[in-house]
Amino acid sequence: MIYLLAGNPNVGKSTFFNFMTLSHVHVGNYSGVTVEKRVHHIKHYEGANLVDLPGTYNVSPSSEDEGIVTYSLLNESYSGIVNIIDSTHLRRNLHLTLQLLELGVPTLLVFNLRDALRSNGYVIDIDKISKRLKSNSICVSARERNNEDRINISEKLKNLRVYKSIELDYHPHIKWGLQRIHDLLRYDSLKVKKKWLALQILEGNEGIYKFIDIVKEEKIREVVKEVEERIIKDEVALSLKGAIFNTRREFINDVVDDCLIQVEDKEHSKYFNQKIDRILTHPGWGIPIFFAIMLAVYQISFGKFLGVGALLTTYFEFIWEQILVYNLGILLEFLGVTGFAYGLIIDGIMAGVGGILIFLPQIVVLFFMLALLEGTGYMARVAIVMDRFLSKFGFNGKSIVPMITGLGCTVPAIMATRTIIDKKERMLTILTIPFISCSARLPIYVIFISLFFDRYRAVIMLGIYLLGIIVTLASAKIFSLSFFKGGGSKFLLEVPPYRMPQLRTITYQALEKAKRFIKKAGTYILLGSIILWLLSNIGISGININPEDSFLSNIAGFISPVFIPLGFGDWQATSSLISGFLAKEVVVSSLNILYVGDIASGFTTLSALTYIVFASLYIPCISTVATIKSETGSKKWTLFSMVYPFMVAYLVALIVRLIFSIFI
Amino acid sequence: MNITDLKREDIAQIVSLKNTDKRFMERLMDLGIYESAKVTLLNKLAYSNLYLIEVDDIEICLRKEDAVNIEVRK
Repeated sequence: MIYLLAGNPNVGKSTFFNFMTLSHVHVGNYSGVTVEKRVHHIKHYEGANLVDLPGTYNVSPSSEDEGIVTYSLLNESYSGIVNIIDSTHLRRNLHLTLQLLELGVPTLLVFNLRDALRSNGYVIDIDKISKRLKSNSICVSARERNNEDRINISEKLKNLRVYKSIELDYHPHIKWGLQRIHDLLRYDSLKVKKKWLALQILEGNEGIYKFIDIVKEEKIREVVKEVEERIIKDEVALSLKGAIFNTRREFINDVVDDCLIQVEDKEHSKYFNQKIDRILTHPGWGIPIFFAIMLAVYQISFGKFLGVGALLTTYFEFIWEQILVYNLGILLEFLGVTGFAYGLIIDGIMAGVGGILIFLPQIVVLFFMLALLEGTGYMARVAIVMDRFLSKFGFNGKSIVPMITGLGCTVPAIMATRTIIDKKERMLTILTIPFISCSARLPIYVIFISLFFDRYRAVIMLGIYLLGIIVTLASAKIFSLSFFKGGGSKFLLEVPPYRMPQLRTITYQALEKAKRFIKKAGTYILLGSIILWLLSNIGISGININPEDSFLSNIAGFISPVFIPLGFGDWQATSSLISGFLAKEVVVSSLNILYVGDIASGFTTLSALTYIVFASLYIPCISTVATIKSETGSKKWTLFSMVYPFMVAYLVALIVRLIFSIFI
Repeated sequence: MNITDLKREDIAQIVSLKNTDKRFMERLMDLGIYESAKVTLLNKLAYSNLYLIEVDDIEICLRKEDAVNIEVRK
């Protein structure tokens, strides 16, 4: 048994999904589209799975993400639909509900956020709304994680059946069109009701033509055009879609007036929101407040002052170095493992993996703080504050959200650009975001700063982050004037109310990131460390050789002259940059392995500076490149996303070297 | 008159969206902004370059150049 979970964005869909399933994570892909598909087993319902669909206002797709809803309804095999509805925004949410109910498959309506609705002073008459919408309904508050609710929902799902599907009284022109299209669809064998399909076609759902090969497509398109013309000519509405929308809205208003009952007169919290908004989005104060908050996030994660993350890292480092590695060394000696094998384990694997793993606490704290920011609803305010500034560079205010995410990891940041509707603005954001320094690059800065610039720690750190931002903005400006000229530049943002973030959800998100990080350490970084150590300890003449004669030295030696102008032309530095393509964390692992723990010996103060500048900007890691490929679907731009950063990194590092050679 | 002519906390009814392009109009529709919908101006932000409006209990922020195209009647 498979149930599809559909709902508007920001209605607590993920919370509900986690609430209903608890465990058994399965992540797959929709065939033909590379968007993650989340499928979990439903608790208290043996053999039933819930499929999480992307949040959408409408069955018709207006972005790639939303196309999946149409695709799933048409092509997936499922026993029913679970439609999750934000009870505090019924009028908007019910538009999607109506489209799903028109489909005529068993549907359970879950009215979520019962508690929030109640604190606004309202309740839903659930029996009445069930009757009006001819479907099974239940009112819950998924946030409370009440087991009774979970059992009730599972029970309702087991007994889910189709009532008579809902039919609205559309305008005669539309009815005429529906009949015509219905007749034209008789040549197609379809899984869904023809009437529903006809209505979706009239609404302009392009996904239908994309996912089904309709025999009479041309004829059908002519009918749609004719109906649209009649609607406009007779001034029924501004467009065909609008006419359908109006009928639905009238029906919804009627249902809501009938079923939403005020039980208490409360002053709406939106006025409170407005007061905070006026401060946080203040034209003068908004940006300084934003920077102050970001600085605090950074201090807590990485700084010495307030530095929770840094403190944890110190302990972590102690445990790893003094206890784990030390005792492992003793154990190996006891077992008689020496020479080559000992080197591989201690100087290769343990140094490589450990060099990165010690940053785990700081990175978890950073992700925790970012999730906290997002949970409060502040991100939307930042988008407002930054819109004017960012639009000057060809960005959209919404670009700020992926940018902030990019401070954590570039991969989710690129995925977060899906909310940007305009294609050009989205491409621009995708291609420039890798310049924002992600947390994987941080260990590189930390290591070099502690070795060469300990006195100027804060200045260098701030400088390198600012440099990333400046390069991002400058590149965006260049792109918006060349490749992506005349982007749509529309800003339409739904502003969520301020919410108290839930500790459980945030902790969960941070721990998920920690898991991924450990997994990366156990795979990419482990493998990278082993290969790197082997290549640097084996040469044509065999093992136990002088590193200068190793394979790695020979390979990297080819490329390393390229970096001589930048001041770090030795084969070790070059190898570390090459291996960084695997994952940026590997750069530090490689440096630890190749300089056998003495990185300072390989650099001067100046070349250390140009090295971190170069490493902060050059080619994104392999996961990022793969994400860019799947999100843009373009080989050309994927290649560009690798070549362009290399050139920029080289140029900027060269300029930095020229300027600082005067001082250092 | 259009949205930019409203004062803070004014309530008005949308009369026409004629000047907005089709794709943007569909996006507005998704959020419940359409002819005859009731709209409240909650706030003018960023030196009156952004308008925060409310339609059906949802708060939406849009730019001045788009707000101008939403004609309303008090």
